[in-house]
Formats: sequence, structure tokens, C-alpha cells
Amino acid sequence: MMPPSLRLTARNLIINTDPGTLLFLIGLPSFYLIVLGLMFQALIPNVVFDGRSISYAQFLSPGVVAMQPFIAGSIGGSMLWSDRRWGMFEQLLVGPFHRIDYLLGIIYVSMIFSVGGALLMFLVSYLLTGFVVHYLVNILLIIVVLLVSSILFTSLFLVLSVFIRTIQTYNTVTMFIFFILDFASSAFYPINGRTPLGLRIVSYANPLTYIVNSVRDMMFARLTGSDLVYVGVVVILSALFFVFAALSYRKAKI
Amino acid sequence: MPEKVIEVEHLRQTYDGRTFVVDDVSFNVAKGEIYGLLGKNGAGKTTTIRTMTTILPVHYGKVRILGMDVSENAEKIRRRIGVVLQNESFDFASVERNLKVYGMLWDVPREVLKARIEEVLEVFDLGPLRKVRAMELSGGQKKRLQVAREFIHDMDLLFLDEPTVGLDPIMRRSVLNYIRDKARRGLTVLYTTQIMEEADYLCDRIAIMNRGKIVAEGTSSDLKAKYGDLKTIHVVVSGDIDYESLKSKFPEDVIVDNEEIRIVSKNVEDILPDLIIYLKTKDIRIERISVEESSLDDVFLKVVS
Ligand SMILES: Nc1ncnc2c1ncn2[C@@H]1O[C@H](COP(=O)(O)OP(=O)(O)OP(=O)(O)O)[C@@H](O)[C@H]1O
Ligand SMILES: [Mg+2]
Repeated sequence: MMPPSLRLTARNLIINTDPGTLLFLIGLPSFYLIVLGLMFQALIPNVVFDGRSISYAQFLSPGVVAMQPFIAGSIGGSMLWSDRRWGMFEQLLVGPFHRIDYLLGIIYVSMIFSVGGALLMFLVSYLLTGFVVHYLVNILLIIVVLLVSSILFTSLFLVLSVFIRTIQTYNTVTMFIFFILDFASSAFYPINGRTPLGLRIVSYANPLTYIVNSVRDMMFARLTGSDLVYVGVVVILSALFFVFAALSYRKAKI
Repeated sequence: MPEKVIEVEHLRQTYDGRTFVVDDVSFNVAKGEIYGLLGKNGAGKTTTIRTMTTILPVHYGKVRILGMDVSENAEKIRRRIGVVLQNESFDFASVERNLKVYGMLWDVPREVLKARIEEVLEVFDLGPLRKVRAMELSGGQKKRLQVAREFIHDMDLLFLDEPTVGLDPIMRRSVLNYIRDKARRGLTVLYTTQIMEEADYLCDRIAIMNRGKIVAEGTSSDLKAKYGDLKTIHVVVSGDIDYESLKSKFPEDVIVDNEEIRIVSKNVEDILPDLIIYLKTKDIRIERISVEESSLDDVFLKVVS
């Protein structure tokens, strides 16, 4: 017998997966990687990372990999909206599940999307820059980070879905958060002593920074003690957001 | 003593913390029984169902379903009940896929599921629509899908919240017969409707709700007997009817609908001559007039007014 949360996951994959949103999942970061990676090449011939000189596109590729859980989380949040829209939310709440199973069903789908999206980003990055991650263990580590981050972002978007009243507002807020988190992080540029203090603070309050940093170190096979801290921060934030999501979802309006 | 499947005791529910939209409701439903909840819009039927189906917490009172308290065993209860919601609910997919996915959610074994899908497609006349997307169905077809879907899985107790709204008379009859057939095999059903003759046809017992309270309960013949000395004067007229003046003249239960007047009363013999004189003085022509035994409809109108 399949556990209820996996049955709900299968349903979300069959029913709630819209090709348009998937295109967004893959399209936008690919666009960043291709357009920004190639355009900035004219301005930034290379980036010094860990004593090595790498191309800007190579620097950017961990950034777009790390964006996947974020995008997948926003898609997960929108599943709650469509279930409410078609009346299925209430129907599933009277179904043969624990309430938490419904949340897990959405989180698991986000995990699948974010790992799938990340593998595609590796592929795009390889085609563009010839870059490959050399060690299998690093790929596995990256996947673990992506899975944990999926819990973080899906929970965040589920909380937003519960508190925001209209889908229009939800979409606007999503775009806004998307913009802030992406650009005030280490995804597009290194955060270092030359970054203005205010932006540095925002970046270090931004969970995406920790995800990008750890993924970048894993991709370039340069793991240090600080990666342990990065991953620790991501794990703690994910746990917090999950608890918050579970609590607020109990109050969700049907 | 028959096994009690639903036990509701002194249930009081509120949404805003001030007004009780369900106010001291108590009833029991035995195994295999079809129990009808009737009432006007806003009477509290859906709120009562939402409580019994574990969606709303119990504010005051006690609710036991299949011998379990809803506040303690919500998930165990949900595994054994089926719920057809009053509101539309379906997946963004074809009719057939809706049924398949629902069967998967309920963990119905593959072979059983296949057979059941064919059965409900047939019974609910959805066969020709199996490939059509649920949101492209007509209102009545959507309702049929929603009811059909619930029969995909096994259950001990089924809640149906106005399941026949929008169904044509033929479909309505065959849905009612299907439900009755399932009840004969041991399924317990809680049914809400606004249509009295439906309750009369289907339900073993009926409770009439008004403003959050049960104001009458019994078998349909109980109810008719209790309020059975009532008769209805039914007049069809041509000409404008002044409702206010009619109401003040005949304070009994007067219902005016376009050019029809209905008066439900225990002493129609006294009212009838007065009514005819009244209509004559108002220059209203009588097209047709009759005195009828009260129907369940009349009982309903009488107890809720
Ligand atoms: N979610 C809600 N929030 C606040 N008030 C509600 C809510 N749902 C119902 N009510 C109120 O509770 C009362 C009872 O509503 P309920 O839905 O139980 O009636 P009903 O008997 O099912 O009516 P209908 O025949 O129209 O379906 C109504 O006055 C309604 O306005
Ligand atoms: Mg209702």
C-alpha cells in the first residue's frame, strides 16, 4: 500500500503539473545562464574563484541550479491555489489522509521538480561552458541541499498562499520575492568586502545565498568548514518554515 | 438496539463567535438508514455536515461518527466515509482521469477500480463523456461526476449535500434509486435537499432544520400525520395580488407566487368563503381553485414559517 502522502504526490504530478509552469521552471534560469552568462562575458572576462580563473557563465551556473528549489516552491504554492479554485482542497481534507499528508504531497512534488530542474541546469551549463561536476559525491551533496531547500521554499509559499487572499496578489508577491532573493544574493556576483554593507547584510539574511554558496563550493569541489555552516543554516531555516507552514495551514480557509 | 452510525448531541456551531448557525442540534442515524436533513438556505445543513465530516471543529456538544469522536479520531473517520460536497469539486482533467485519480487516492486495487469506473460511468450516464474535461461539462453533468466519483471507493457512511441540484428528472430518479440500492446493502446515508418529494421518496427519516435548530423530525408519514390535519387551498387567479393586504386579511400561512395563492391551514372551510369574497371585492378573477391534502412540502413550509 502506498503511503497517503505519496498518493497525493502522484496526483499532483498527474493533475497539477501544467506544462506552462514547467517551462517557466526551466526557461527563466536557462535564460539567465545563456543571456547573462554570454552578455556579461564582454564586461567580465573572467571571475577569480578559489584562486582559479573561471568564466562568468561558469560562476553563474551554481546560481541557476540553486534557484530551482525556489521556483519549484512557488509552483508548489500555486497547487494549493488551483486545488482551492476547483474545490479539491476541501474534498481532499475530507479524504482518507492526515492533514499533514496534503502538505507533504506538495513538498515532495517540489523536491522532484527542483532536482529535475537542477539536472537540466547542469546540462545547459555543460552545453554552454563545457563545465562538469567531477565527483559523484558532490552531485549527491548538491541533491541533498536542493531537497532540503525545497522544503524551505515550498513551506514559505504555502504560508503565503494561506495568508494572501487573491491569486493576483500571490503572483505579484512571488515575482517580487523572486526578484529580491535572486539579485540580493551571491547568485549573480560574489559577496565580499567590496559589496556595500547594506547589500551584504541583505544577502546574508537571504537563504538563497547560503544555498548558492554551498552548491558553488560543491560544484567546484572546494568544500570547507564554512559549507557546513551554510548547510546548517539551510537545514534550520527549512525546519522552521516547515513548522510554520504546518501551523498556518491548519487555519487555512477552505 | 441497532448500531448508531451518527450521534450528534447538543451541537452548537458558530463562525463569528456570536451567532450560532447550528443551535442545539441532536439526532442519531442507525446503520443502513437514509437520513434526510431539510431546510431553507442558510438553515445550517452544510455546517452540520462539515462538522460531522471533521472539517470544522466542534464548538459545543458531542459528535460521534461510526462510534468515534470527531475531535479525537478525525483521520480514522475520514477513511471510512464518503463526502459529496455541495460546492463543485473536481480535478483539472477528463472525466475518466478524475475517476482514476480518485481511485488511486483511495488506494482502490487496480482491477476493482477498473470495474467500478465502468459501473459508475454506466449508472451516471457519463460513458459518452469519459474523455471530456470536467470543467467543460454542463452543471448537471459535473454534479453527476461528483456523485459518481464517491462511489469509486468503499465506505460505511456517505454524506450527500444537495447531490441532485441541476439533475434532470430521469437522472435524478436513477441517482436516488442507486443510493437506495446501496443503502439496502448496508450503506448509511446522510442526505440534504430542498426538494421535499425527493426526501419523501428516499429517506427513512427526515429532520427539518430552521435557523440552526431541528424543528421537526420523523418518517415522512410521521410528519404528514403530525401536521396532517393541514390542508392547502390553491388558487390560480388572473389579476394583481396585493400580498400585504392578503396577508393581513388571512394571517394563516399565505404564499403568493405570481398569480398563484396557497394558504395552508387547519380550517380551510372557514377561510375559503372569505377568500372568495375577498378576491371578488378586489376584482381578481379566479381561474382555478382547489383544496388539497397537505404534502410534505406543505409540512415543510408550515414548520419553517
Ligand atoms: N465559511 C463561513 N463563514 C461564515 N459564515 C458562514 C460560513 N459558511 C456558512 N456560514 C453561515 O452559516 C449559516 C448556515 O450556513 P449553511 O451553509 O450551514 O446553510 P445550509 O443549510 O447548508 O444552506 P444552503 O441550503 O443554502 O446550502 C448561514 O447563515 C451562512 O451565512
Ligand atoms: Mg448547504
